[in-house]
Amino acid sequence: MTYALVSLSIPLLSALALMLAGARLSNRNAGIMAIVTSLLSLGAAWFCLLDVAAANQSILLNLGGWENGLAIRLRLSPLSSLLLLFTAFMHVLIGIYAGFSRRGVSRDFWTLSSLLHGSLAALWLSADLFNLYITLELLGLTAVAMVALAGKKAYKPAANYLILSLVASLFYLLGVALVYGRYGSLDVVLLGLQTQSDTTTRIALLVMTAGLMLKAALWPLHLWLPAAHANAPTAVSALLSGLVVKGPIFILWLLWSEVAPVDLAQQIGPVLAVAGMIALVAGGLSAMRSPYLKTLVAYSTVAQLGYAMMALGLLMAWQLPQMHVALWLFVIAHGLAKATLFLAAGEMQTTLGTKRVSGLRGATQTVPVAMFAFAVAGGSLIGLPPSGGFLAKWVLLEPMLSSPQNWPWAFGVLLGTLVSAAYIFRVVAISFDRARINPPDVRPDRLGHWLALLPALMVWGMALIGEWLIEFLSGGGV
Amino acid sequence: MSGLQLYLILGAAVFLLGLHGLLMTTDSIRRLIAVNLMGAGIFLIMVALAGRISPPDPVLHALVVTGLVVAISATAFALRLITAAARVDSGQSAVPDKASRLASKSESDVAEDSRP
Repeated sequence: MTYALVSLSIPLLSALALMLAGARLSNRNAGIMAIVTSLLSLGAAWFCLLDVAAANQSILLNLGGWENGLAIRLRLSPLSSLLLLFTAFMHVLIGIYAGFSRRGVSRDFWTLSSLLHGSLAALWLSADLFNLYITLELLGLTAVAMVALAGKKAYKPAANYLILSLVASLFYLLGVALVYGRYGSLDVVLLGLQTQSDTTTRIALLVMTAGLMLKAALWPLHLWLPAAHANAPTAVSALLSGLVVKGPIFILWLLWSEVAPVDLAQQIGPVLAVAGMIALVAGGLSAMRSPYLKTLVAYSTVAQLGYAMMALGLLMAWQLPQMHVALWLFVIAHGLAKATLFLAAGEMQTTLGTKRVSGLRGATQTVPVAMFAFAVAGGSLIGLPPSGGFLAKWVLLEPMLSSPQNWPWAFGVLLGTLVSAAYIFRVVAISFDRARINPPDVRPDRLGHWLALLPALMVWGMALIGEWLIEFLSGGGV
Repeated sequence: MSGLQLYLILGAAVFLLGLHGLLMTTDSIRRLIAVNLMGAGIFLIMVALAGRISPPDPVLHALVVTGLVVAISATAFALRLITAAARVDSGQSAVPDKASRLASKSESDVAEDSRP
């Protein structure tokens, strides 16, 4: 647990120090400081992963030494240690990209990204509904500020994003108030022992679910996402799509797998799963039609979150522990792949001087590394073996294929796969159009392109440790 | 009707009023006020729920205070962002040259893309 607290407090302290230092620290030094603190946090997260693996169960901590029920509890589960590691890794990678590639970022980026790292770490470790609300607000405010970093053009999308994010948190807060009024407790573990499916609990859970779905941009509450994610600077888009939307999903999963009574979860599960299936197809079709590269990638996030929602819905409906594994494999595989897609898209945009998908003609020749990264990460989104996306899909499909009455769900996954393949191949096909090459404006930034490739290789590397990952996540996912 | 019920209904009414305002208006400042109204409704519900036992539940009071801090900082941030966005909007309309140039550029972009 100590390591988890270290991993959480290092980025928070770094954000504070960067803010206090302000202009006294040059942009470059601020960047180096943020990257180094992310690295330290990564190391601490690694040790806490080892701790949990050794203990083979969740570790609870009552903050301030108060007794159960009054204390705000933190919990380090195998899943949260893995997510801590994942978050720290993404911050290191995107920090290096933001600091050393040709497209610079402003000094505020470093403060905000450290704060984002801290709030995410706090979110993964919280086991208290109100504390989760606070981390959710922190996450939302930081994310909005990061979108606004893109400059004047982004102020309007940022303002809209902020208002939506506030509304979503308020819905969640209303649910928290109702739950506390009914049970007199906010602790996730204690609530799990008490909840019954009466009217108050039902309303509270539904209100919270609506708020969290809006925050996570799950269909049909996803319309704000493409504007916000596509307008942000490249490094920020990667953080937003790869990490930020996963926070509300974590809370949603916590609510329905632990707090909610089983019979209620079984009723709501199929609805969520169907919404996930629609998200897959609708998001994929929008991505297919999008004329702009970054919007295409943002819509692909909407579609891919459909898989996560489907896994969650089926987890609730069937109460199969295997679905925990599928859900979190999707989240991690998608996070890595999406980081690549946004970094590669940003690099190609700068090099080729166009925001349009059609401007990528001949990209396999002019920006080969970035295009290769895009295609490789796209392969994981489609679910080509042996990538992380394939691993997740395999775990999801297994119980569907084993009994014939579940085949309609498998059909949904198949449809989603086809649509994903369509929008990825659309980009790849245009990039092979070498007859009418769109000449690059500037020489490609080699470091940026190779950094974009790194998470794509890691997502394919996930298959190598696939067996261990599945075992780790299923051996006490909570 | 007990006092608790009255306040719960009032809180829910304020929340729904805010939600209605949010969905029905497009002006950013009005929407922000609507969001604040929703927040006020929730705080009312929480304070009313604190009175369900005697002496009143201090945990809910603490939650409301924390919630108020979050609401104030978020509102301040939102106001700054909205005014900045409005300034950008009016700035763009004051310089028609640049805007029209951008528009004609994107048109030529489209024309180029639709070429066989």
